[in-house]
Amino acid sequence: MPNAQQTLDRDYLEMRWRCLSLAADLDRIERAESGKAVLSSDPRVQRLRQAIAVLLRDEPGRAEAVQNIFSDKS
Amino acid sequence: MTLIDPHIHCVSRTTDDYQFMARCGVVAVSEPAFWAGYDRSTASSFSDYFRHLMTIEPVRAARYGIDHYCWLCINAKEAENVSLSREVIQMIPPLLRHPRVLGIGEIGLNKNTRNEVTVFEEQVDLAARHDQMILIHTPHLDDKHKGTSIITSILKNDRRIRPERVLIDHCEEHTIRMAKEAGFWAGLTVYPVTKVTPQRAVDILETFGPNMICVNSASDWGESGPHNLVDTCLEFRRRGHSETEALNIFHDNPCRFFGQSPKWKVKPSGA
Repeated sequence: MPNAQQTLDRDYLEMRWRCLSLAADLDRIERAESGKAVLSSDPRVQRLRQAIAVLLRDEPGRAEAVQNIFSDKS
Repeated sequence: MTLIDPHIHCVSRTTDDYQFMARCGVVAVSEPAFWAGYDRSTASSFSDYFRHLMTIEPVRAARYGIDHYCWLCINAKEAENVSLSREVIQMIPPLLRHPRVLGIGEIGLNKNTRNEVTVFEEQVDLAARHDQMILIHTPHLDDKHKGTSIITSILKNDRRIRPERVLIDHCEEHTIRMAKEAGFWAGLTVYPVTKVTPQRAVDILETFGPNMICVNSASDWGESGPHNLVDTCLEFRRRGHSETEALNIFHDNPCRFFGQSPKWKVKPSGA
């Protein structure tokens, strides 16, 4: 089993480009017609913002928490 | 539709890649000299490598109807060895007359060290003295912004260098302005793990416009491939841009940059 440092070493570049991709995705939406309105009002974007906030937490279970944000619990 | 991959390291690719490119409409490629994945021990290794670039790859490519050109230099990574670099640089001038050699490249910086800067400046001088076009490698990842800034400063301070004959490659969102605002050509390298994805490349094209930008795959021995260029063209079309606009970027722009050399034979589509 790789340790934490080895795991980060192996995955860092992919994590980095996924982060850049998400930033570029949001820029692309904002650049398009009605972009600002969509970013501020579309509920899917709100869920993405909540999910990004989960990534910033220093506690385990991030993937499950993000799945719950994107799940219909009605 | 026809395409050109203006930066690909065919020596590291299989024949399947040539077949794939031909099926996708790639009609020409240019191959800069680069790091082989290990540091070469003698200048004679470079002599063999240059011969491979000038004579072997054009023959491999021609079997699939692809016109192959190359660039010569000592790359930024091996430039850390200044004495070896100077031996290699001395070998280059007579080779510049070869009909497949478009200029000096890919020169630049890797870790932005003093030795790399010394060898970079000597190769810029080589290009200037022999009136050659230049293909620039900018560093990867954390070193890119600083390295691009150093490179563009050196080039701008050399009055012999005409910016329209220089392509600053591997530009990304935070460095492309440095290239464009100084009048250089800019290269976008679709190499998702360390450079840009097809989506981000098209974002940059939409933001900065199509002029003086070349898109390439820089396929080598890493996680890369000629499909990245094709995927970028498809992403461009998927967003509603016309085939004419795609042809302008993915075929005609490389023709415009490379066409500054009389050796380059592929003409822009409208010519």
